[in-house]
Amino acid sequence: MKKRLVMHLGLVLLALGHAGVAAAAMEDARAIVERANVASYYAGDDGRSAARMLIEDGNGNRQQRQFTLLRKDVSDGGDQRYLVVFSRPADIRGTVFRVEKHVGADDDRWLYLPALDLVKRIAAGDKRTSFVGSHFFYEDISGRGLDEDNHRLVETTDTHYIIESTPKAPDEVAFARYRTWIDRESFLPMKTEYQRQSGEVYRRMEVTRVETIDGYPTGTEVRMSDLDSGGYTITQFRFSQYDVGLPDDIFSERSLRNPPRRWLRRSE
Amino acid sequence: MMARLTGNTRGCRPMAGALLILALGLAAAPAWAQQTSSGTQSTQDDWGDDDWGDDPWASEQTGWQWYGFVEGAAAARLHNDPAVDEDYTLAETRLQIEGERLVGDYTATIKGDVWLDGVEDGGRGDLREANLQGRLTDAIDIEAGRQILTWGTGDLVFLNDLFPKDYVSFFSGRNDEYLKAPSDAIKLSFYGDANLDVVYMPRGEANRFITGERLSYFSPRRGAVTAAPPAIDPDERDDWLDDSELALRLYQTVDGVEYAGYAFHGYDKQPSAVDPATGTPYFPRLSVLGASIRRPAAGGIANAETAYYFADDSGGDDPNRPNEQWRFLFGYEHEPLADLTLGWQYYLEWTQDHDALIDATPADQRRYAPDEYRHLLTNRVTWQLLRQDLTISLFSFFSPSDADYFFRPRAEYRFSDRLTGTIGGNVFGGEDPWTFHTQLQDNSNAYARIRYNF
Repeated sequence: MKKRLVMHLGLVLLALGHAGVAAAAMEDARAIVERANVASYYAGDDGRSAARMLIEDGNGNRQQRQFTLLRKDVSDGGDQRYLVVFSRPADIRGTVFRVEKHVGADDDRWLYLPALDLVKRIAAGDKRTSFVGSHFFYEDISGRGLDEDNHRLVETTDTHYIIESTPKAPDEVAFARYRTWIDRESFLPMKTEYQRQSGEVYRRMEVTRVETIDGYPTGTEVRMSDLDSGGYTITQFRFSQYDVGLPDDIFSERSLRNPPRRWLRRSE
Repeated sequence: MMARLTGNTRGCRPMAGALLILALGLAAAPAWAQQTSSGTQSTQDDWGDDDWGDDPWASEQTGWQWYGFVEGAAAARLHNDPAVDEDYTLAETRLQIEGERLVGDYTATIKGDVWLDGVEDGGRGDLREANLQGRLTDAIDIEAGRQILTWGTGDLVFLNDLFPKDYVSFFSGRNDEYLKAPSDAIKLSFYGDANLDVVYMPRGEANRFITGERLSYFSPRRGAVTAAPPAIDPDERDDWLDDSELALRLYQTVDGVEYAGYAFHGYDKQPSAVDPATGTPYFPRLSVLGASIRRPAAGGIANAETAYYFADDSGGDDPNRPNEQWRFLFGYEHEPLADLTLGWQYYLEWTQDHDALIDATPADQRRYAPDEYRHLLTNRVTWQLLRQDLTISLFSFFSPSDADYFFRPRAEYRFSDRLTGTIGGNVFGGEDPWTFHTQLQDNSNAYARIRYNF
């Protein structure tokens, strides 16, 4: 009896201890990637952020992109709505990109080109193509479907879970597998390395700055490196805010032609 | 058929201020040199930590924000055109300035071009936008003033988009954005269970069609390809209010499927009718009703659109006026490989009272009359390389009924965020010199453009 009590106490202490320091080590890879997905793409019910990208190719030529991103979740870990309004450079200023992200189905995507007053609908296509000329893919911005890969927990360190993901349809992607270092506390994926069949890493994503915003740990500086060419893109997020209360109806054709200034304006 | 292409170019008048373009062009030149020689340096400076303040979306702006570009463009004719005494369809230095400012909850926009034109010899100017846009109520947006207007589902094929086009720019080698000519209009947009756009144009603007001044065309009256002088000079529809036009679009998206209905009441955008007494072309009355649908299908985007053109000549037996037509469009766009997009379209113009038209057409003019069914196929291939810095594309028009074609190859390279270079061509051809594209054969051109954005 006494022995059992001590054991119970021990479990309670253990639990309390972990709650205070770090979550109990999880062992289910699927559960870990689900939490990581929610932590990195679904913070709050909605969010607004200013973003800018510095794109440098292997020859040192630099370009920039600047945009404001609005997001609203239809459900946590599920469908989402995005509005991306570009302000720089000059030739894409006023371009607006709208996405209805569907988990397990093709996304609906629209692009507004102001010089022609044209609302163009974009074929779902390959999500692993460059997002506005950067080293990030569309998929890196809105998240890769969890069901597209098999996930395996390969190591649990003091600070990270290391997950190895293998594509279910290897012919559709350039990588043979990728490893993700997920922070045990925040569940943010801090580093992802994409490998060729030989195991050689050719593409790397690193979160280089994390800030806690409205209670949500947020990667506010992310670097994507193309190790083949030596090129990279740094994306910085600023003026981020969660649970803004974005109304559903701003994710519509109306906002393409007439962006919702009230909701784009950053809070100072 | 011919009349659809031909006419004058309103809105490109010589400007005394053409010297301005030289002055500003010269002022921009040192900045350009600086950019190319030390481009990385200046970008790096822009990337300063506190440089977040100039995002017009994210923060309250006061005063005007100015943007623009300087562009040099030249298009050489691929053949000697016996009708036109020019070796180029385009030779110009252009400056575009765009200003934007917030006025309360509204946005004021002004956008104008000035250019030195080596083909028409002189300075030219064009005010492309001068409007006020904003939210009138929670459910109503307004845009009033000179503006660019577009709707419909076609790719470079327009059925229900009866807003003015500039075919002279489009065919002579200018950027695609110049295909859309501005309208003076008030646009009210109502948002609810269904959305409604109402566009009122107090004085309808015609297309900037081929007059013979820059591009040659086929004249059925002369029975030959011809050019100015004399330029085609139709009776203008330029009385404010009397020559007004109205365009409506009712639309909604349901579960990713876009539905739209359209109506237009105004004038043909081309001087497609001729006054038999004087021989002067004019813009006949035109009303159009139509509908479209666009939706994802088989991993791509499918669209269908139809429009019925109610002509001035309801009996269809007056060869001096356009016949009624029912038009159809079916399109499909997909991305079979990463960064490679293919677009396909089939377009049909069905002349409704074709027998009556042929019976009423003088025998020597009959072969110039439209076919009962005009079929047009288009294909667009777009291939993006070098992380989208290089875009190679080819747009092809082919009409099996007219037996003619129009190819638009293009390669565009972004040297930097500021500097873009484009080379391409407009290549026309076919069997009979009077068909839509064949008549432009001698205007085939290859162009190069370089644009510096600021």
